[in-house]
Amino acid sequence: MKKLLMTLVVLLALGLLFAAGGAETKAETEEITLEWWTWDPELLEQNEQIISSFEAANPGVTINNTIVGTKEYWTKIRIQANQNKLPDVFTMSSGYIEEWAKAGLLYNLDSFIKNDDTFTNFYQSIFDTSKEISNTESYYSIPFALVTTVLYYNKDAFDAAGVSYPSDDWTWDDFKKAAKQLTIDKNGDGKTDQWGHWFYGRYAHIEPWVYANNGKLIDKNSMQFNPDKNAMDAIKMLTDLVLVDKVAPPQKDMTSFQQQDVFSQGVAAMWVDGSWFVDTLRKNVGDDMRWGIARVPSGPAGPSNLTYGWPDSYALAPNTKHPEMAWKFAKYVAGEGINLDVYMAGKIPSAKKLAEDPLFADPSKQPGEEMNLLREQASGPMTTSYTMGWSEWRGYGGSESLGLNGTIDAIINSHMSFDEAFKKGTENINSVLKRYYK
Amino acid sequence: MTHPPYRWHSKLTPWVFIIPTVIGILVFRLIPIVSSLYLSFTDWNLLSSPAFIKLGNYQELLSSEEFIGIVLNTLQFSLIYVVGSIVCGLALAVLINVRIKGISFFRSAIYLPVVTSAVAVGIIWNWMLGPTYGLVNNLIEAIGLTPPYWLGDTKLALNTVASVQVWKMSGYYMIIFLAGLQGINRDTLESARVDGANAFQSFFRITLPMLMPTLFFVLTITIIDSFKNFELIYAMTKGGPQNASNTLVYDVYLNAFVYYRVGYASAIAYILLLFVGLMTIFNFYIKKHLIQNLD
Repeated sequence: MKKLLMTLVVLLALGLLFAAGGAETKAETEEITLEWWTWDPELLEQNEQIISSFEAANPGVTINNTIVGTKEYWTKIRIQANQNKLPDVFTMSSGYIEEWAKAGLLYNLDSFIKNDDTFTNFYQSIFDTSKEISNTESYYSIPFALVTTVLYYNKDAFDAAGVSYPSDDWTWDDFKKAAKQLTIDKNGDGKTDQWGHWFYGRYAHIEPWVYANNGKLIDKNSMQFNPDKNAMDAIKMLTDLVLVDKVAPPQKDMTSFQQQDVFSQGVAAMWVDGSWFVDTLRKNVGDDMRWGIARVPSGPAGPSNLTYGWPDSYALAPNTKHPEMAWKFAKYVAGEGINLDVYMAGKIPSAKKLAEDPLFADPSKQPGEEMNLLREQASGPMTTSYTMGWSEWRGYGGSESLGLNGTIDAIINSHMSFDEAFKKGTENINSVLKRYYK
Repeated sequence: MTHPPYRWHSKLTPWVFIIPTVIGILVFRLIPIVSSLYLSFTDWNLLSSPAFIKLGNYQELLSSEEFIGIVLNTLQFSLIYVVGSIVCGLALAVLINVRIKGISFFRSAIYLPVVTSAVAVGIIWNWMLGPTYGLVNNLIEAIGLTPPYWLGDTKLALNTVASVQVWKMSGYYMIIFLAGLQGINRDTLESARVDGANAFQSFFRITLPMLMPTLFFVLTITIIDSFKNFELIYAMTKGGPQNASNTLVYDVYLNAFVYYRVGYASAIAYILLLFVGLMTIFNFYIKKHLIQNLD
């Protein structure tokens, strides 16, 4: 009996020893798998490189990257959210941050940011812009890039017409004067072959002017569409370019163009849109045309440096099992572990070491030194018009012909008068906003 | 105890064969159809759980001026498509119902747009109808006329897209009409010619009446097809300008996949189902009372 007891004690002791040893071994090589969702299929190779370098630096961590086509991304990830199966790290759009943060679908990053040296490596201004867009008091996203809006101008056309290039102190009168000189009927058939400027109701064509005139589209107290006088002056100035000054074409004249091609094919000498089109222009135009970027001219009521810009970000799932590792990986893919060549030209990295890289304003590529404007914009004040339901009331993507976009197009296409279009447009927009902000 | 001779489970094999299809129909058709009926009574943005709002979506739809416009657009599109496809399909079929050298080339060429991607067709027609540089407008200008804004004018955009859809699909109906035409006895036509009937008389008095069953079949499928107009609208106008070419199908897409108002989109889909159902009943009525003797 005694012998049996001793045997049992020894066995138990051995068992405990192995159990403890086993647990220790397990802790040392604990396997962590993170799911990472992104939306651009073209980035497959780059993502694979990022993953292999991160995995090499963090043994035991496996990253599974799922790339969903841009058009299906939001439908699929919404269903993941609905099923509580959000990936640990995923691409987030500024247009949805508020809706998602308020629905509790994004991880609150405040404690990480507070206890970390995040802002040694990243620009706080870009994180703050993202916080402002979320319409909350917390950080819910890790921006990897900032995009702004700029005035693109065709240097060849400016030179040919003897017009001096846009400068930071350009007023709207200077802009209009240049647009007039650049509107040219080259073959004398009575039809304009080169327009001074090109725009339609698109958000990135309109809002930059509204903010450059210190205007507001949304009343933040009532969350209703209620453009103030400065905003209306800016929109009126633009629609007059088509209807009165005749220096910009109506939208219906350009339906056969991809909107970005109007400028690159020399049909318009100036164009305001997102800074990411630097990349498109470099690829599409090459050296066939000399072009530059400048600040959108300030209006009579405007500040000189308020920029319409917003971040592209990553977010973490609120129920991620490995928040620390997800945070570490998100910072890695948002800048700490990547190179400048991962970025589309014109997107400003939120990581300081990348944005300050001399190659950001590579003098051998257009628009050379003028790329410094983007860095200046990134460090200055910024604003946006994002709200919940933005794509619906603004008229974006599949609904581009509707919403505020459709309202402005109706004016420049002479389908409705300015007042009539805004009366009808405001009613529709507010019925959308009322659904989201009850 | 004796077994009845035909017990259902004694024929297990057929079930094994049809089970995959039945599961497919259940999972991808019937369950979604029933679920979307339920969803049409809810407010759901895909993120949270659907909230039951009774008839809220239907009330909002029926009180929306915009929605009434979209219904009218849908009916206008259908009318143009049905009439256009039948007239063009039949005309093309009559034209190529001849035995000459190289006719198979024309048959293939006319059928080609049917198998071309609708998005590609949309992009090419967008270029051709372009206001400033488009081929069509340049030809119109060359003969001294002022061309319209085919896609930029609120009065024209829907008609233009519907016409492009007719252009794309006529070849398909042509093939069906051609089969019908070739089934008509040539002796009858020849005796008519001997009796002194001209081409028009032969067509309207002999060919067309004998083609009635085919015509009815084409009418049925063109009506059904006329509601499937998403791709061209997406590629050419995105429902614009200002809802001028927005139809029920495109509005379902906008609400479900752009605005994420899944409940509202389901309600629109059910109203669309109502229209298709009414059209089908109308078709059966015509078949029963007007052309049953011709089958």
